[in-house]
Parts: sequence; C-alpha cells; structure tokens
Amino acid sequence: MKKILVVDDEESIRFLYKEELEEDGYIVECAGNGEEALQKLCAFKPDLISLDIKMPGMDGLEALKLIREKERQLPIILCSAYGEYKQDLTTWASDAYVVKCADLTNFKSTIRKLLGSS
Amino acid sequence: MPGSLQTHELLKSIVQLSSSSIPLDVKLDQMLQAVSGAFQTDRCLFLKPERIGKNGFLSRVASEKKPLWMENGASFPKENALPEEQEYLCPTFACIPLYDGNFFQGIFYLGFSGQHRFSPQEVDLLLLTGEAAGQAIRNEEFHQKTEETISKLTVLNETAQEHEKRAQQLSTLWELNKALLTTVNFERILHLTLTAITIGEGLKFNRAMLFLVNDKDRMLEGVVAVGPDNAEEAGKIWGSLSQRKGTPSDLIIQLPPEDHSTLSSVVKGIRISLAHEHCILSRTVLEGRPFNIQLSPSSKGRLQTPCERGCHRGSEAGCYVGEHLSQNPKVYSYATAPLVGKGKVIGVILVDNLYNQNPITEEDLHFLGMFANQAGLAIENATLYRNLEEVHQELKETQTFLIHLEKMVALGEMSTTLAHEIKNPLTSIGGFARRLDRTLPEGSQEKKYSETIIKEVSRLEKILNDLLNYTREESLVFKELDLRDILEESLSMAEEIRSGRVRLVKEYGDVIPQIRGDSHQLKQTFYNLINNACQAMKENGVLFLRAHSFSKNGSSYLKVEVEDTGKGIDPENLHNIFNPFYSTKESSLGLGLPIVHRIITSHRGQIEVDNRPGKGVKFIITFPSSKTEKGNRVTNS
Repeated sequence: MKKILVVDDEESIRFLYKEELEEDGYIVECAGNGEEALQKLCAFKPDLISLDIKMPGMDGLEALKLIREKERQLPIILCSAYGEYKQDLTTWASDAYVVKCADLTNFKSTIRKLLGSS
Repeated sequence: MPGSLQTHELLKSIVQLSSSSIPLDVKLDQMLQAVSGAFQTDRCLFLKPERIGKNGFLSRVASEKKPLWMENGASFPKENALPEEQEYLCPTFACIPLYDGNFFQGIFYLGFSGQHRFSPQEVDLLLLTGEAAGQAIRNEEFHQKTEETISKLTVLNETAQEHEKRAQQLSTLWELNKALLTTVNFERILHLTLTAITIGEGLKFNRAMLFLVNDKDRMLEGVVAVGPDNAEEAGKIWGSLSQRKGTPSDLIIQLPPEDHSTLSSVVKGIRISLAHEHCILSRTVLEGRPFNIQLSPSSKGRLQTPCERGCHRGSEAGCYVGEHLSQNPKVYSYATAPLVGKGKVIGVILVDNLYNQNPITEEDLHFLGMFANQAGLAIENATLYRNLEEVHQELKETQTFLIHLEKMVALGEMSTTLAHEIKNPLTSIGGFARRLDRTLPEGSQEKKYSETIIKEVSRLEKILNDLLNYTREESLVFKELDLRDILEESLSMAEEIRSGRVRLVKEYGDVIPQIRGDSHQLKQTFYNLINNACQAMKENGVLFLRAHSFSKNGSSYLKVEVEDTGKGIDPENLHNIFNPFYSTKESSLGLGLPIVHRIITSHRGQIEVDNRPGKGVKFIITFPSSKTEKGNRVTNS
C-alpha cells in the first residue's frame, strides 16, 4: 500500500484528506507544518507528499526545498487555496500544483497519476 | 533846402512810415531816403548806439541828447573827434539824437559836401523826424519784446497744458491698470481691458474688439468685444454711465460683463489668417505697430482701403472687418494697436467711434498704444495663470485617480486575506458534505440537504476564485493584436448569440488599427460586456457591436461600442457600476464591470456609458492605437 504524508495547518483539511485517501486505500500520516513534516519523513517514508503552502512556522515552499534535498524522486503535490503561487519559480520543484477544492476529484487523480508513474 | 511843399511831404511820409507795419530796418531806411531826398544830403546815415565810440563828439550828442549843428565843419576842433569820427567832419553836418524822451536810440547823421544853412523849419523838421524815428524804433522794440513775451507765455501755457494732459493720461492709465490688477481670470481681464478702452473715464472709444493670435494655426481669432449694438443703445448706456460715481477703476470693475452683445458674437466669428499681409489686423501683429485707418466716403464710391485693391472679404480684412463691424464699410474708420506680452505680439485691439464719429487722433492712438502694452502683459499673465490652473486641475485629477487606485489596492489586499481565511474551512465543509452525500440513499430528504450544501459551497468557491482573479496581479502578455479577432472570439463564447436568442448587428470600420494588449484579458472584457448586454435583454433583443478608428490631436484611436436594447441602467445605480462588489444581478458578486474597467484602464483605454433608461445601454470603449508611428511612415512613403 502506498503511503501519503498530508501536510496542512488546518486540522479539518487534514481530517478530510486522511478520511478520503484512506478510503481509497492509501496509508495516510499527517503533519501540521514544515518542521513536523521533515521529522516524519524519515520514519514514515511516504511514497507521496501533499504539501500546503501557507502555514505558520516553516511554510510549504521552504519545506519543499528541504525535502527535495533529501528525496530527489519523491512525488510532491503543492496544495494551496488559490493559484497565486503558480508564478513562484520555487513551486516548479514540485511535481504538481493543485488548487484546494471541496471536490477532491482533481486532487485524487493527480495522486494516482504521480504514484502510477513512479 | 527843401521847399515848404517838400517839407510837408517829408513830414507826411515820416508820419506814415512811423505808423506803418513794415519791418524796422526798411522803415529806418525809407525815413533816411525821405530825409536825404528832401535835404539833398551827400551822406545820410543812421548810427546805432553801439557804433558810437566813447569820448567822441558823437558820444556827446548821445549823452546830452541834443542835436549838433555844424554849418562850418572846417571850424570843428578836430581833436574833439575820435579817429573813426574824422569821416563825419563834412563842411556842413548835423547829428540829431533819436530820442523819445526816455530812451536814446541812435543818431541821424546828415552830411553836406557844400555849405548849408539849417533854417529853423529844417531844424524843427529834423528834430521831429528824429523823434519819430526814435519812437518807431522804440515801438518796434516794445512790439518785439511783447511778441517774445507772448510767445514765451504761449509756449509755457502749451507746455503746461501738455503736462496736464500727460498727467491726466498717466492717472487714467494708472486707474485702468489698477482695474486690470484686480483679477487673474482670463475672460475677466479681456473684458476689463475692453471696458477700460470704451468708458468715458478711460479711453473713450465707442467700441473695442479684441483678437488673439493662435500660434498653432497662425490665425488671428476674435475673442470678445465691448460696445453698444446701435446708436440708440449707445446713448442709453452713456447716459446712465455719466451718472455713476467713483474712480475709473471702480467703475470698470463694477460694470457687469455683457458677453451676449451682437457685436461680441460677430467678433467671435472673425478668424483672419496671419498670412493675409494686406489685412490691417494681420499687419498690426506682423509689424507690431498701431494703425489708424480714417476713411471718408470717396467720390467714386470705392473702398478706400490702404491697398485700394477693392478686394473681397477674407482676402482684405480691412474690408472684411469693415463689412462686419459697420453698416457702411466704405466710410468705416478704425484704429488698431498690438497687444504685446513678454516680447511678442499676442493679439490686436481694434477700436472705433462708430456712433459719435469722433475722429481718432494720433494722440488717442498713442494713449491706446500705452494702454495696450499694459493690457498685453495682463493678458499674458492671465494666460499663464490659466495654463497653470489647467495643469493644476490635471494634477488634482491624477491625484484623485491615484487615491482611487490606492483604495483599490488596499481593498484587494483585504479581500485576498479574507478569501484565504474562508477558502480552507469551505474546502473541508464541502469535502465532508460530499463524504456525507455518498453515504446517503438516493431520493432521501437528507440527500437533498447534502446536495444543497455541496451546491452552495461550489458557488462560494467560484465567487472566491473570481474575487482572487480580480485582485491578483496577473502576468500579462502584451502584444500587437487586431481587436476584431478578440471580438469574434468573445462573441463565440456568448451563449445567447450562439443560440440566436439575441440578434447581432456588427459594424466594423474599413481600417481597424492594431492595439497593444493582452488577448486573454481583452477577451474576458468583451465577453463580460457582451454577456451583460445579452442578459439585459428579453426576447427579440438586438446587440450592436461596432468598431471604428478615429484621430484626435494627431493620434489614432480605436473605438468599440457594445450596445443593447434592454431596459438601461437605473440612473441611481449608474455611478456605481464600476465599483467592485456592487451588483444588481443576484447571481454574481458584481465583479464583471469593475474587471472590465480595470482591464481597459490597464490598456490605457477609456470606458464611457451612454445610458438611456428604458431603451438600452451603450458602452463606448476607446483604445489608443499602437501603430501611430508605423501609420505615419506608411502615409509618408
């Protein structure tokens, strides 16, 4: 079973993603910010990371940089409330950029695509 | 020895001569000739006092004022005579002092080469002659002195009058200038200038007209005029003015502007090219000097203009001006003076005395010239001030616009923050609603509830995305584009047009200049406008879409009109339509028109609304053409 690390500062979003993704057969672990995500990276060894951008403490873009230094091949999806970071060149280090939406269809298909190709 | 008849004749001629008005020299000469003729003298001289040496026998005659009779000249002691007096020592001679009782005027000398005896009558006659001559000289001197005094007095008087006149002019000029200094308003200055020229306390002309040089077109344009429209009105105005009291400057300032006069509107219609070198008005500008055109009816009935070409209106503004400004241009007299401001002629003042027909003197013209110099400076200052005010106004508008922009930026930042805060909870609300929804049986009441939540959350998410698209700085790709392509694509997106529910009428001009813009944004703009127009119309609506080019101030522009036949915008809401978050439609947040406005202004364009409530709305969008330079090159080649 593929393992997914969900990084988001919003508890209800973490809850929603965990429920949805577990239902789809993934093993899900959550982190509330960048530091926590980096801590859990080694122990959990996820196959994919869903990373929120705007978070207190270490934000998603910083975390993305640090994770990339350790795990070059790990698929990372940047999740944000809006598309405003799309022009930020650092987001290019991620494998996908998904705008948050109550309808998770797009999010899930992006995950399937990334895990399928790896 | 003259006979009694000759004596009588001599006496008569002496009396006549002394009372005649011939010049003194001639008078004395004729007296001498008369005496010489009557006495048959060999020498007969008039010795002026300055020719009489000191301590000679002549000086004794002069000092004693008694005649000297020498019937035996040889017996005269020669030592009593000065060397220069020797020549007078004839065998017989007489020296008669010219003396009127008060003043010594010289000596009559009679010399005989032979013996002569002076009879008592002769002595009397000669003494009388001496007295007459003395009086004549005295009279003459007195006359001369009187004349000199009179002429001196006259000169003094004239100078005094001249000074008084100058002082009067200067005081008037000062008063007029004072009036001019009361304002910097351009129109007011012009009016004050002409009023000063026409009122009795000022320059007293019947009418005054002002023309200003339009540097760009090299034209002289009538601007304003002051003066009654007919003789009757003139009488009325002058009558009421004479009752007014106060200094001239007060009077000028108090007079209300009368811009509606027929004369003023006639003058405003006069435009004369400075290329017309024969026109007096043009010449006043070109030569920078005043002209005084005094015409009288010519016997041939032709125009007596200085050029005498009998030319027609337009080509000869002397006639042209006359045709417009007087009932009879053949006898139209007027004067012009250049208005000089800061070293160059900025206009012309034209004056006439149409109603009282007073001739315009050189003096009047000189005074007008002096005043025109001051008025020119005042007008120049007012022009500068007006330009300054215009620039100031522009600055104020720019400032207002900047404040508006700042507000928009602040609003944008606030909405971005707000949208972020709302988006996350909304995502989880919607997400869990979907999870719930999946567990609920089809057709159940609960299923309906969850579906409503999902639908409303989707709507909220869409609104938030719209909002962020509005406030977010998007990276734009500006390039040359043909707006017709944009319009066509926007049309193809509009459902009402595609379905034919709304009839479309397109009007594109033959030449559509390219503009620089972001095709995506422009597509969104025109889609918004077209969509709004379609939604505003019920069945059988017609959408007009027009695109035309036009030129203004040498630049080329593209104008697009989107017009509908809907019910128009409620005038109460009209000023709010470009405000974000203001909507009359229930289904949207009201960002459509503000987005349109923002995109158009970021393309250096303008949008205007022509609202006809009950009939429809027309949006007029203007973009500057991107190809001004290229266009010029094309026309040059």
